[in-house]
Amino acid sequence: MMGIILSKDTRVLVQGITGKEGSKATEEMLSYGTHVSCGVTPGKGGMNVHTLPVFDTVNEAVQYDPKLNTSVLYVPPFTVYDAAIEAIDAGIKVLVIVTENVPIKDTAKLVAYAKEHHVLVIGPSSVGVLALDIGKLGSIGGSKDQTMYTKGNVGIISKSGGMCAETAMSLTQAGIGQSTVVGIGGDVILGSTFTDLIALFEQDPETKAIVMFGEIGGTYEEQVADMVRKKECTKPIVAYISGQFAESLGRALALGHAGAIIEHGSGSAQEKKRILRAAGIHVVDYHYEIPAKVKEVLK
Amino acid sequence: MKLLEYKGKELLKSCGIHVPAHVVVNNNSYINLSFHKERYRQFFFENGNVIIKAQVIGNGRKKQGLIIDPASYEDSLKAIDTLYKKTYHNIPITTLLIERKMNVAAEYFLAIVYDTKTRTPLLLFSSEGGIEIEETAQAKGLLTYPIDPIKGLREYEARSLAKQAGIASQAMLQLASFMVKAYQCFEKYDCRILEINPILKTKDGNLYAGDAKITIDDNAVARLEVFHDVTDIEDQATMSERELEARKIDYTDHRGVAGKTYLELDGDIAVLASGGGASLTSMDAIIQAGGNPANYTEYSGNPPKEKVKRLTHITLSKPGLVGCLIIGGKANFTDIYETLSGVMEAIVEIKPKYPIVIRRAGPRDKEAFAMIREIAQKEQLDITLLGEETPMSKAAHVMVEKVHTYKQKMGIQSKNSSSIHAHTNGTVK
Repeated sequence: MMGIILSKDTRVLVQGITGKEGSKATEEMLSYGTHVSCGVTPGKGGMNVHTLPVFDTVNEAVQYDPKLNTSVLYVPPFTVYDAAIEAIDAGIKVLVIVTENVPIKDTAKLVAYAKEHHVLVIGPSSVGVLALDIGKLGSIGGSKDQTMYTKGNVGIISKSGGMCAETAMSLTQAGIGQSTVVGIGGDVILGSTFTDLIALFEQDPETKAIVMFGEIGGTYEEQVADMVRKKECTKPIVAYISGQFAESLGRALALGHAGAIIEHGSGSAQEKKRILRAAGIHVVDYHYEIPAKVKEVLK
Repeated sequence: MKLLEYKGKELLKSCGIHVPAHVVVNNNSYINLSFHKERYRQFFFENGNVIIKAQVIGNGRKKQGLIIDPASYEDSLKAIDTLYKKTYHNIPITTLLIERKMNVAAEYFLAIVYDTKTRTPLLLFSSEGGIEIEETAQAKGLLTYPIDPIKGLREYEARSLAKQAGIASQAMLQLASFMVKAYQCFEKYDCRILEINPILKTKDGNLYAGDAKITIDDNAVARLEVFHDVTDIEDQATMSERELEARKIDYTDHRGVAGKTYLELDGDIAVLASGGGASLTSMDAIIQAGGNPANYTEYSGNPPKEKVKRLTHITLSKPGLVGCLIIGGKANFTDIYETLSGVMEAIVEIKPKYPIVIRRAGPRDKEAFAMIREIAQKEQLDITLLGEETPMSKAAHVMVEKVHTYKQKMGIQSKNSSSIHAHTNGTVK
């Protein structure tokens, strides 16, 4: 059993386990068979959540289970930075940050810190990671009784959490299963980008094709085109870019010249689609066209 | 949060960057009062010469005549009156920054932004600043320098940058110190963008911030007390009444998100979408199907029904609506019954005649649909219910077709002159 982020060796800590969302997600992760060991909420050490022990610090959690290697973060936005650094310092190797509205300064710092320590960060604002036969990290997929996701050979990477489910469901309805589904979040600075995950999918024997759900803004989608051009990804990629409507809004008043200079007019849906197509990526205009296109590239 | 120039300069000043001597005047509180008039008179004669700048969020003030360089004191009074009568993108001008006119020897450009390639702050510098920077920077090369967010910008790094830009000796040291202070300001106040264009180098060799365009990270505002009184004042200027009302929904209740992103558009199909990605996908789908959205908005994160009800009321209060699309992907955890109950409570109070299309799936969707069917029958509402078997883009098509039929029945002319429609027409298959 292999996935790109989850494996049979994955052992999970939930930071913020005593909160409403953290506790609910813990129960769901357990229902998927995910090996969740324990949780951390500073000040709540000694409690139990779904029979799992709660510790005050990540170090205590690691003492309890020395095989812990993954942490899912459900802590409030202003505490994400501290919680992430704490986990990295305690030797955790994979962080999935579900918390939304994390200040960009905190994200930039923690991403830089994680890079120095060779830690994989998914998020912030990630709905989670799901590999059906192993389990899930985060809120993705709700409880095990869902019918949206099925096991198969297509990897999904989505900026939008909601559209992870919608995209997987459209594939499932067409009889196409998924290997690993990852919500990378739609923040400006991401722990893992499309290219980071495509590199992992490229190495994953279970994944035969990749679906990416992109959005306007930034350059993460364009970076995929570079990657494909350099032949760093040989598996077929089907891409959908949302948010075209926003470009026609005269209302979004640009502030300053910096944005225009740095982006060189890139970042628009049209431009992203053009660049991706030019690199040989299969771009669809409508979301519902994804399954048919995937079938075509899998032939 | 975007800051007006004078607010941005207050931040820069607090970080040790020089700004020209100035007064800030407001037409509600200043020029009519003899006391302030006297204060301004003194300011003018102490400084000899001034520049008067309308305080607006956005670009192109100079080209629109919103920056005036008066020849005399009398001229300056006239200029003040003239500026107060002007508008910027239909927003009245209420605040002016009156600054001492500096003896300028050179103008530089400095900006700090977040870069998605390096995933760090990025400093941009050009020794030729000014309003044509976009053209000159492209042509003459712009220095860019990624800053390690943990280490911050060190003086030695800034000195090499200044040197690379061709600025030597004492001027290099001075510019390096200016850059470091600008980065400290960017860091301290959780800026998303900090742009100083131009940096004014005076004939006596000092550096001043000639302008300040600063955007503060909305996600950090709650921890920055200095901005807590600012938000409302400046947002109001650019928002419609409905947009302001929608913002208030989240101010008073932090469970889930509703209304934070409500944006009024010039179409006629009301949209209540769920989730950021799903809402963008639906908007694209409506436009691709030939429809014209009246607004953009979304609710997500399992908000209570009261919040969804308020958002529905605000969204459907727009005049001239011919349809309403309630749409979302299959929810991971949002309670469909709870949120659609909020929508339906508002709809029952409004009793719209136009068609309503609901495409929703997720926890408790069957109960929700049964509830809606019952209400629709009782209240004689035209509601189409679509579940997970219908893709979202198909649901948008259904909406647009129903709107078309409704318009024909009611004898409403289709307007297809909207900029959105025209802009995306080329992509419709």
